[in-house]
Amino acid sequence: MSLEKLSELVEAGEAEETKMLTEQLLRDGTDPLEMIETLTKTMAHVGELFARLDIFLPEIMLSGEALTEAVNVLAPYLEASGGREIKGKVILGVVKGDLHEIGKNIVKLILETNGFIVKDLGYNVDSLDFVKEAEAMGADFIASSSLMTTTMPRQLEIIEILKSKGIRDKYKVVIGGAPTSQLWADKIGADLFCYDAKSAPELFTAILADN
Amino acid sequence: MSTLYRHWEIIDRARTGKFMDEEDFLPRHFSPTLKKLIKKYEIKYDPKNPSPTDDAMADRIWQAAWDLFREVGYYNTDSHRIIEVTDEEIKEALYMASDQYVVGGGKDARVMKHRSVEDPEPPFCIMSPDITVDEKYHQSMCMAYLKEPLLDGLCGPILEETFGHLIESGGPTEISGCIQHIQNQKMAARLLGRPDTFMVAVGTAEHDSGQIAVSNDEWGVQKTDARLVGSLTEFKTADTLLNRSLHYAQYGCYTGSLTGAIYGGWCGGSEGTAITTVAYSLIGLVIHGAMFNQHFPFHLNYVSNTTRELLWPISMAGQALARNSNLLYTSNGFANAGPMTEMLFREVAVHAMVSTVSSWHLWEMASTRNKYRNRATPLEARLGCEVGHAVARQKMSREQANEIANKLLAKYEDHAADAPMGSEYHECYDTAKAVPTVEHMDMFRRIKDEIAQMGVEFPY
Repeated sequence: MSLEKLSELVEAGEAEETKMLTEQLLRDGTDPLEMIETLTKTMAHVGELFARLDIFLPEIMLSGEALTEAVNVLAPYLEASGGREIKGKVILGVVKGDLHEIGKNIVKLILETNGFIVKDLGYNVDSLDFVKEAEAMGADFIASSSLMTTTMPRQLEIIEILKSKGIRDKYKVVIGGAPTSQLWADKIGADLFCYDAKSAPELFTAILADN
Repeated sequence: MSTLYRHWEIIDRARTGKFMDEEDFLPRHFSPTLKKLIKKYEIKYDPKNPSPTDDAMADRIWQAAWDLFREVGYYNTDSHRIIEVTDEEIKEALYMASDQYVVGGGKDARVMKHRSVEDPEPPFCIMSPDITVDEKYHQSMCMAYLKEPLLDGLCGPILEETFGHLIESGGPTEISGCIQHIQNQKMAARLLGRPDTFMVAVGTAEHDSGQIAVSNDEWGVQKTDARLVGSLTEFKTADTLLNRSLHYAQYGCYTGSLTGAIYGGWCGGSEGTAITTVAYSLIGLVIHGAMFNQHFPFHLNYVSNTTRELLWPISMAGQALARNSNLLYTSNGFANAGPMTEMLFREVAVHAMVSTVSSWHLWEMASTRNKYRNRATPLEARLGCEVGHAVARQKMSREQANEIANKLLAKYEDHAADAPMGSEYHECYDTAKAVPTVEHMDMFRRIKDEIAQMGVEFPY
């Protein structure tokens, strides 16, 4: 039993076996931080495979579930050794009036497997709920997706609510979705246009670093 | 006759069907079932053949699609219940479905009828930019499409603004925008002397209230027109969508079922995309009582369907439907490149050719990944429809189409990811007269000549 095997199980999306092997490796004295490092590399590899569509959404979702099993087992040990690095906290959802969520779900998965804490509000989310949930979470980001041109104005509405409440600068506002663009982000005053899911971790990290 | 005689039972099942958490529906129900059926029916993608000729596999895809619909059902996200149907109900709906409908009115009426594989009858040609346009170009673009000789039906561009107000889904601006949309479209048709042209409208309506607001036989969407009801990816619906199909039926217009299986998403690869596309035609018929199915399977990353991993499922799905049903279905092209680029013209030619020989009717053409405002024109739709007419009339075989498709794919396939965005409508059309610029026409003729030299016998 090895870290290599653990990596294989996560890539194959074998959640139950991943959990068992993680427990076994811990019992054998393997460093939990070393295990997390391996798992992070594995998910980066899986993410690359998905970005090229060498694997498809069901496969990467299963890998994500396997990773979650491993992280849940490791969590207490990581806390004891200083904890896993959290890159940022994100409120994520699809705006009001929009029922399309596949893109949002992929972004969620990619962010979570790259060290972000994500609270997924689902779809058809009221603009005020984005703000309330961000306040409750102490989020760094409010990220909204829109697939329809007629629901894009809701992304502006989120920013206007933040301004009305005097808390615009507390959050990085991120927009995404098929009809959105840098032009639209500039027009409404969003902090970041996330043009695809695979770039999300890098873009989110960079904008926090700029701060 | 559509299958709306069962609509009340469908609505009832949407409330009382088997409960399932939405989070479980796709990863634990849809995708595993689809994966199992791909294996059971030995469906295998063949990248060398974007226009394949495997009849036996087409029949297996049909059976897999049938099983997928029956085993998975259709999920209502509002009630968290699954609408399930029986084999008997699917058979009955297929028996009751007509193989042809008269659409549009008066001298502009057209017959849309079932096509077979390699059918010599030209496809029914619905033209649409599928994208949003500036308010100031909306009527001009409607006119430009209606000037196309091969247009049998029009689905107009989508408005984002109405008299200076951003259109918001579900709000009053959407209702106003939808009325403006249909009136621009109808006015353009009247001015051009084809007032009763078949229309699929209105794309500006994201919410059911917008659709319902334009049902009017005098000034709005007429009973000789069609409306679309969408699906949520994958195999999911919602009350706002069920409202539409019920309203369309009760109003008396035609219903089209709008679905786009996503390659790389929950369908997996080309095999799953083909099966899911066929299953969506059954869903459209049985759940929504659709007179036709409007399919736009697309690539998760590119949001296009002109590369071989999408052409194969389009072709196979068409063949499966043609060989096993009498249904009507349109193939909606999604290109990578933008207007007035050689790549876009080649993409639409391949999409139309492969679709036509595989039994589809045409719906051309979403350009520039269906993403950018003003980036679509009638000229790419014209080329697609001319190719469709040509290959049908010359009785082109799937083998011939495959050979030409591979030649054209070699010219653009490597640029799917970095396709040129081309020009906006007003940069390649005279918007006042609604005609293409000289430069645009020159490019059109040049690529048409190139395609003709490959063996496509254009009628004019």
